[in-house]
Amino acid sequence: MTLEKFTRIIDLYGCESARWPQSLLAECESFVTNNIEARTLLNQQYQVDESMEKLEVPDFPGLETRVLNQSLPKHNRSFFEEAMSWLIPDEYFGKQVWRPAIAACIPLVFGIVLGNYFSFGIDIEDDGFQYWDDELVMLSLTDYTEANF
Amino acid sequence: MQAVCMGGRSAYQTLVKRHLKSISHYAYRLLGNPKDTQDITQEVFLRLWTNAQKWNSDKSKLTTWLHRIAHNLCIDYLRKHGRMQTQDSFDDEVGDSPSNNGESADGKSDETILVRTAISALPENQRSALSLCHYQGFSNKEAAAIMNISVKALESAIARAKRNLRETLAETHKD
Repeated sequence: MTLEKFTRIIDLYGCESARWPQSLLAECESFVTNNIEARTLLNQQYQVDESMEKLEVPDFPGLETRVLNQSLPKHNRSFFEEAMSWLIPDEYFGKQVWRPAIAACIPLVFGIVLGNYFSFGIDIEDDGFQYWDDELVMLSLTDYTEANF
Repeated sequence: MQAVCMGGRSAYQTLVKRHLKSISHYAYRLLGNPKDTQDITQEVFLRLWTNAQKWNSDKSKLTTWLHRIAHNLCIDYLRKHGRMQTQDSFDDEVGDSPSNNGESADGKSDETILVRTAISALPENQRSALSLCHYQGFSNKEAAAIMNISVKALESAIARAKRNLRETLAETHKD
């Protein structure tokens, strides 16, 4: 172990030996015990770390209000995004759950209305029997004797 | 974040409350004065609102992305206005401290003020690397991504910063 290598370890991993690489731990500890320059270096770094810990950042009391109240430009959103935003609002979704429910009902209502007015080319076969009574009469007149087979 | 993209103000407010302290502290550690710190912090959250759709959750965490915005804004600011403002604000503090009893008017030790001055005198990349890894708690990889440099370059910047601080402190003790 050289002083340069030890300095590099201190710079990268800090003063606490627990954070030093396991493979170099014993070597580093032995180096610190036997080398006065290494001990001086370690003490200096301890002092720097302690002083750095004491550096405080002042409070910015009005900053949160200032950031929250700043005027935000309107987002240019497509029709689809607008619709999605209306359907799934990010706020109070629980109270606004009727929106997706109504949206889900729209195709159903639309289908019923269309189906009521248009046949869409589907012909319902009408074989002439308007009433069940007529059909029963016709059945009763049919000859089911074996001669027909 | 998706809600912010869609223009959700309450989501925006939640994000502001969650990240404001961290961003303002980082900006303060780079700029060194409260006024500019507040301006930059406000700008960071405005960028969050306007550029929300640019954030890619697969690429980086939101906090990393916000710190990167803050970092770029601070560096731009420092390049435009020079480093004197940072220096001045710290120098004022040093100037206030009585040199004979080791304590400044607000109770901070001379050594703490000295370290603060030494940090403010560091080049921007070293100061930023130190702030991100020591104070903001980012890993080397994340800090490197914020600063847009390699991990090796970041480690080198941290090493040089620590060496500079140690030397400054050692020189003062000699005096």
